[in-house]
Amino acid sequence: MSAHTYKKFENSTSGDLPDKMTIYQDCMNTFNESPVNSKRCRLLISRLLRLLAQGETFPQNEATALFFSISKLFQHQNDPLRQAVYLAIKELSGISEDVLMATSSIMKDVQNGSDLIKPDAIRSLTYVLDESTAFSAERLLKSAVVSRHPSISSAALCTSYHLLPISEVTIRRFTNETQEAVLDLKQFPNQHGNSEYYPNSTYISQYHALGLLYQLKKTDKMALLKLVRHFSENNSMKNQLAKVELVKIVNDLIYRDPQLFSQFRPLLSDWLSNKFESVQLETAKLITSFATRNSRLVAPELYAAAISALQSLLTVPRVSSRFAALRILNRISMVSPEKIVVCNPELESLINDSNRNISTYAITTLLKTGTSKNISSLISTITNFIHDVSDDFKIIIIDAVRTLSLNFPQEWKSILNFLIDVLKNSEGGFKFKNSIVEALIDIVSFVPQSKELALENLCDFIEDCEFNEILVRILHLLGKEGPSAPNPSLYVRHIYNRVVLENSIIRSAAVVALSKFALTKNDPTLYESIISLLKRIANDKDDEVRDRATIALEFIDSARNKDDVIAQNLIESKYFYDIPSLESKLSSYISSNTDSFATAFDVNQVRKFTEDEMKAINLKRKQEQIFNQKSETTLDTTPEAESVPEKRADANSFAGPNLDDHQEDLLATKYADELLSIEQIKPFGQLVNSSRAISLTEPEAEFVVRGVKHLFKDNVVLQFNITNTLTDIALDNVSVVCTPEISDEAELEELFTLQVDRLLPSEEAACYVAFKKLDEIVMEGFLNNLTFTTKEINPDTNEPFDGDEGFQDEYEIDSIFLNAGDYVKSSFTGNFSATFDELPCEEVAVFNIQEDLSIQEVVDKIILNSSCLPVESTQFAPSDSNSHTLKLFGKSALTGSKVALQIKMIKSSKGLALKVHGKGEDSLLCSDLVNGLMQ
Amino acid sequence: MGNIFSSMFDKLWGSNKELRILILGLDGAGKTTILYRLQIGEVVTTKPTIGFNVETLSYKNLKLNVWDLGGQTSIRPYWRCYYADTAAVIFVVDSTDKDRMSTASKELHLMLQEEELQDAALLVFANKQDQPGALSASEVSKELNLVELKDRSWSIVASSAIKGEGITEGLDWLIDVIKEEQL
Repeated sequence: MSAHTYKKFENSTSGDLPDKMTIYQDCMNTFNESPVNSKRCRLLISRLLRLLAQGETFPQNEATALFFSISKLFQHQNDPLRQAVYLAIKELSGISEDVLMATSSIMKDVQNGSDLIKPDAIRSLTYVLDESTAFSAERLLKSAVVSRHPSISSAALCTSYHLLPISEVTIRRFTNETQEAVLDLKQFPNQHGNSEYYPNSTYISQYHALGLLYQLKKTDKMALLKLVRHFSENNSMKNQLAKVELVKIVNDLIYRDPQLFSQFRPLLSDWLSNKFESVQLETAKLITSFATRNSRLVAPELYAAAISALQSLLTVPRVSSRFAALRILNRISMVSPEKIVVCNPELESLINDSNRNISTYAITTLLKTGTSKNISSLISTITNFIHDVSDDFKIIIIDAVRTLSLNFPQEWKSILNFLIDVLKNSEGGFKFKNSIVEALIDIVSFVPQSKELALENLCDFIEDCEFNEILVRILHLLGKEGPSAPNPSLYVRHIYNRVVLENSIIRSAAVVALSKFALTKNDPTLYESIISLLKRIANDKDDEVRDRATIALEFIDSARNKDDVIAQNLIESKYFYDIPSLESKLSSYISSNTDSFATAFDVNQVRKFTEDEMKAINLKRKQEQIFNQKSETTLDTTPEAESVPEKRADANSFAGPNLDDHQEDLLATKYADELLSIEQIKPFGQLVNSSRAISLTEPEAEFVVRGVKHLFKDNVVLQFNITNTLTDIALDNVSVVCTPEISDEAELEELFTLQVDRLLPSEEAACYVAFKKLDEIVMEGFLNNLTFTTKEINPDTNEPFDGDEGFQDEYEIDSIFLNAGDYVKSSFTGNFSATFDELPCEEVAVFNIQEDLSIQEVVDKIILNSSCLPVESTQFAPSDSNSHTLKLFGKSALTGSKVALQIKMIKSSKGLALKVHGKGEDSLLCSDLVNGLMQ
Repeated sequence: MGNIFSSMFDKLWGSNKELRILILGLDGAGKTTILYRLQIGEVVTTKPTIGFNVETLSYKNLKLNVWDLGGQTSIRPYWRCYYADTAAVIFVVDSTDKDRMSTASKELHLMLQEEELQDAALLVFANKQDQPGALSASEVSKELNLVELKDRSWSIVASSAIKGEGITEGLDWLIDVIKEEQL
């Protein structure tokens, strides 16, 4: 064999794997030999492992055969071979059946094996034990946990950790031993003075023990508190990971009960100056992410200390620490960029960091710290180096700039110039250019002032653009925005140039864009030109282009000369369908096919949005992308995220109004569909507005109730979604009794209540209460009482026992309020102050809030209550200032009349003073909204 | 020269070859106790074997590779994975467990039908003779229908693993038979 081929086989990175079947046959032959040749077997196992590590796999029967042949190697007492056997068992346990056959042999090694193989044997127990056999390992594991040998103890702790879900009872029996193992500083046996053979102990068993202990005690808050207190004393934790774990446990505790934070304060500030960088990082992460949720509980000094710890970590030599610190700062920058401005000098120097990930993060973080003052200087910094970096990196920067443009619409000029410069002057692939164009499209739609300049430059750009997709997008944008621009004829020339010069895909897009200019009001003379252009295009050699031109001519003709509204709408769309609901309606239409599609699909069932509403939704969604990243942060800092994940959606936390809208949308569509399919509700007509689901009970109550308010033109329907969390009780005849709080003012007339006949354990069902409103806008609070009959469940049949009369019972749930905000939909305006000044009716109110709330909390509450869209990024209250102005814009859900609110807030020692200045087209709605804002 | 002689001697007696011996039987018959009685000569406390135990022991110049497979119903199907190259089977019966004699008999005959075990010698231990009410070796033999066995060297020995009675006698017989038949 030549040296060349020999090397090729040995090289781990070479693509040549040993042949699978050869290895299989060799293994089967060699392992079944007697006596065992240990060297050869080890070599074969290592090849087998390499195959598996490369992603090769065996069918179950072959894997099982391999496993049994490997199990025969237990007859040979050779430690290195035994270690290889354990590795193979671990790998095969996933694909082979009957791995339990190795149990006795492994247990024997755990008991009598040498120190070298004991840890391996213990760890492989994880793979072979199941519910029925786990208890037999109890004594072995227990004595291994208390072993003086750190590797053995660690292995036993890890195995116990993994066995917890399999046999919790068994593992619980050595809680005490685990607790002792945390403080036991285990050293490797060193009696021969041969310190080169045994390394110094890292005390990793402390970490493993603490991890297991947390799992054992995680439901018991008091026990965890005691545990943290006990282990944080006297610097008893030597292992770095164990310390980090301790920080995570504290995080978990304060996550469950924020009030505990104050008692950990000294500990946390102590940890911020810990000698381990990872402990500092974890602590800083804890403090800063806790502060975004509970800003009042974190003292400014502690927060500043966390930031300065992060700041100093930005300059340490270790790359991973720099990266981690930067990552935390980046997350802070998404919610309160002003807090990390102090780190800007360090961040700026990191732009040139040799690690690409760090430099990318640095620049995007810097961009987020941008304020109206420093944006232009930041932009010029980026302009200097953006041409030198790779496409992926450029895209990240462009995305950051895009976020900036959404947050600082008033800075559109410098951002726009930057984007245009990059678009025209830099080299880059499709993805890069596309992201720039996307950013420009966002600016055009959300910052109307920028339209002319942006469109003009895009027109220049399409003269020389090599990407079909981008060209089509720009043409569409020109068609959409161009007709309403002051000088539409300018764009017509550019678009027509495309028709002359480009391929058929672009030509067809250009035809559609052109047709939209025919009806523009800004330049009536265009009509003739467009008609003649389209007529010329109607002779195009491509049939799609011809078709589009012909149909456009037809539409224009009927829209202009016959006042055909449908044709007008097709040329200039005034509204958009709610896509998720359109999709679900269409798919149910197709699947229900009752009369082989004789009745046409009724598109009027689908919710429609006007352009402003659509923009409001889009803007919300785009700003939310930032928040979703943020909520990830809060989740992944919680050790074992399973503890409390979903329920947070209900909590009116900071992320409340923004959390995962898409999910909410789907839910809302589902609720609306269910509601509208009810016979009694159908006469109410079109559903006007639905609120978000509001929790009316504690999430851990016996019956969890969520309420949704549905508004019709003359009716209100309250929906109560009830979940029965009991395991052995069924509820019969569940209904909700709603009593209006101010009952003598009979603005509402109760029509009917739809009850749930039977609610089995862990089921969810909805009951409805319908009212007729006598006024257009009715505001009312409802006291709610759940009434039901409880019946015990027969565990055999999962039905209540026969003849069980049950008990009549009541359960009081929180009140539900119908307020002015329920009559409002959020809507978008590009120029708030102009719109605000134009609106005719006016209402002013002053509130004083005595409760100790932060400005941000009040802002969140107002946004939620008013259901308006916060504009000009005023939904973020600066945390370093005592005053803030919130700007909200919305539309009446019933009539579509506009309403705008400007709310000034000043925080002082006495509380929070609010001055609400509302303007609107409808004086009643405006005053109701203003006066009902803080209910 | 000495080396040559000794290796010839080894070949003659087969001492460089390991003999595979399986210990089988229903659960709780005393298989693991017998294995360790043979290996270390002591009674060890055992718990139900999940899987198998394997020990190598030297007996009369022979290297024996003794496999003790678990006897629980769930493990019995896997016995056949270990039949290959087996020189002898030791089948252990709990002589006091009259109720399950028929099960033991069924398992025994099923096992002996296996192709791979056609040449294996069979030694039956009528174990737990120290217990009151234990059936004698001949009674056990009758219960197990041992007389039906054709073309196979077999023997049944009354034993008590706890007291160490009968074990060596049985093994001596087995070794003699193996030497005669296979070496």
